[in-house]
Amino acid sequence: MTDRRAVSSLRVATAAALAAWAGLFWFLLISGRTSLYLSSRTAWVVPTGAIVLTMAAAGRLATLRAVRRERLTPRTSWALGFIVFPAVVVLTLPPTALGSYAAARRSLSAGFAGPALDTGDRVTLAAVAAGVWSEEARRALIDRAGSPVTFEGIVTRREGSPADEFVLTRFIVSCCVADALSVQVRVVGAPPGRFEEDQWVRVSGTFYPVGREVVVAAGSVRAIPQPDDPYLNV
Amino acid sequence: MAVAETLDARQRVAWRTPILVLAALAGAALLARALSGAGIGAARTFLLVFGSLLVEALPFILLGAAVSALIEVFVPASVFARLARLPRGLQMPVAGLGGFAFPVCECGSVPVARRLLLKGLHPSAAVTFMLAAPILNPVVLLATAIAYRGRDVMWPMLIGRAGLGLVVAMAVGWVVGSKTRAELLRPDRGLQVHEHEHGDAQEGRWARYFGQLADDFTMLTRYLVVGAAVAAALQTFLPQDVIGRVATTPVLDVLALMVLAAALSLCSESDAFVAASFVQFGMASQLAFLVAGPMIDAKLVALYGGTFGRGFVRTVVIVVFSVTLAGALWIQVAFG
Repeated sequence: MTDRRAVSSLRVATAAALAAWAGLFWFLLISGRTSLYLSSRTAWVVPTGAIVLTMAAAGRLATLRAVRRERLTPRTSWALGFIVFPAVVVLTLPPTALGSYAAARRSLSAGFAGPALDTGDRVTLAAVAAGVWSEEARRALIDRAGSPVTFEGIVTRREGSPADEFVLTRFIVSCCVADALSVQVRVVGAPPGRFEEDQWVRVSGTFYPVGREVVVAAGSVRAIPQPDDPYLNV
Repeated sequence: MAVAETLDARQRVAWRTPILVLAALAGAALLARALSGAGIGAARTFLLVFGSLLVEALPFILLGAAVSALIEVFVPASVFARLARLPRGLQMPVAGLGGFAFPVCECGSVPVARRLLLKGLHPSAAVTFMLAAPILNPVVLLATAIAYRGRDVMWPMLIGRAGLGLVVAMAVGWVVGSKTRAELLRPDRGLQVHEHEHGDAQEGRWARYFGQLADDFTMLTRYLVVGAAVAAALQTFLPQDVIGRVATTPVLDVLALMVLAAALSLCSESDAFVAASFVQFGMASQLAFLVAGPMIDAKLVALYGGTFGRGFVRTVVIVVFSVTLAGALWIQVAFG
């Protein structure tokens, strides 16, 4: 007896939509771009999503033949296109992290209290972040005034600041980019006019807490490529 | 001959829309790349936040849809019939603690609740489960404990979140209790799966399972995309320092953080870390953020709108906001 069931175009299209999303998750996993969207704490979502979406797409592909006739209507085609649209957009985006536009809107001034922000042995940007909201962490920073530091981040500028100054910005991400907050230090004594906004740099110098701000007297400022983990994760 | 031509024409028409859709997708991708690559900071920020919300939430949507389809196809109706026979007063707290058995986040709990409703669970119990499960589950409570570790308010926050979450979910369940299943669900979408499941009786179990899963996934993802876009737009264009100004105004600070939670649309698994970062706000505000956020936000309103009938979103917003406000202020006075 022959199987009279026909391949359903609706099921083919649905399987394609699931496969498109599965493709995005595999792409993020293999290309290492997960860190552009999620913190290391939630990065497990990507392999999980890749596997589950692949299973769902494979399951739909394995059950393509329908007992009843199923049609792919224009309305359903557009609806499926709509849900695939973000996956296609994320796939085609260049691998750049949050920049200076977000820095001004995601100030740490509201405070931050991640679980792993201590001042530790070395003065890190995470320690600077802790110093913004915690009096204890700020005192620990003041005790280390004049210590040598090396910070990595992007160049952002404040209006009216001298030519040899810029603000070094790095984002702290707890779960995903939606909760990113910017931690900033003022760099003084930088080579004027050499670094453009959003350029990734490594600044080595001496740090001084001034009120709620941290100032770094730059010894050297070097341009670097965007790191694999552009955000600090807590 | 004429029949063959008609068939040919019909096939051409059938393929025209999918081809147009693919062309539109290619165009949209090129546009997004051009905008992001052109150094337009707002476009880049919007697309990164939009993408990150989707990447984080989509696997949970699919897991929720997978659990929902399992319930539909593999769990015998007699299990739910037995649960549905429990007195309503008992159904609600049992459903409220259901998140410990099905640890779904807020995106995943919507399809599960709809399925429970279609399986005959009382509307009060299904809605209580939907609102409580994203808070009263081990993953979320552990994340909350980690976020507040080492602070005086850790236990009040943890117990307050679990307790107030259950109370608010049951309050909404009680308010919608007088409605029938047909009144509660959106007639065109919410009940649709129920209708076609009879026609699919000849399909194998796995074909039905993947059919249900795909239906839920495509419907919920549509609303998630809209919600993520709204949340990303608010995050991109609303300066954070504006929020700081209301932090010192009593009652307004609690309302403000509830509205902010709704705008940010964070997953309940991750929101405690963001709440803990609002150190300028008092404990009541942070608690309200953690209780109301997983029940009302931009993406959830879209998901509710696609599942439930008109008026449901309004009821949830009014009850959740008022009970959370009263509860959070009381907990602050009692334990803060």
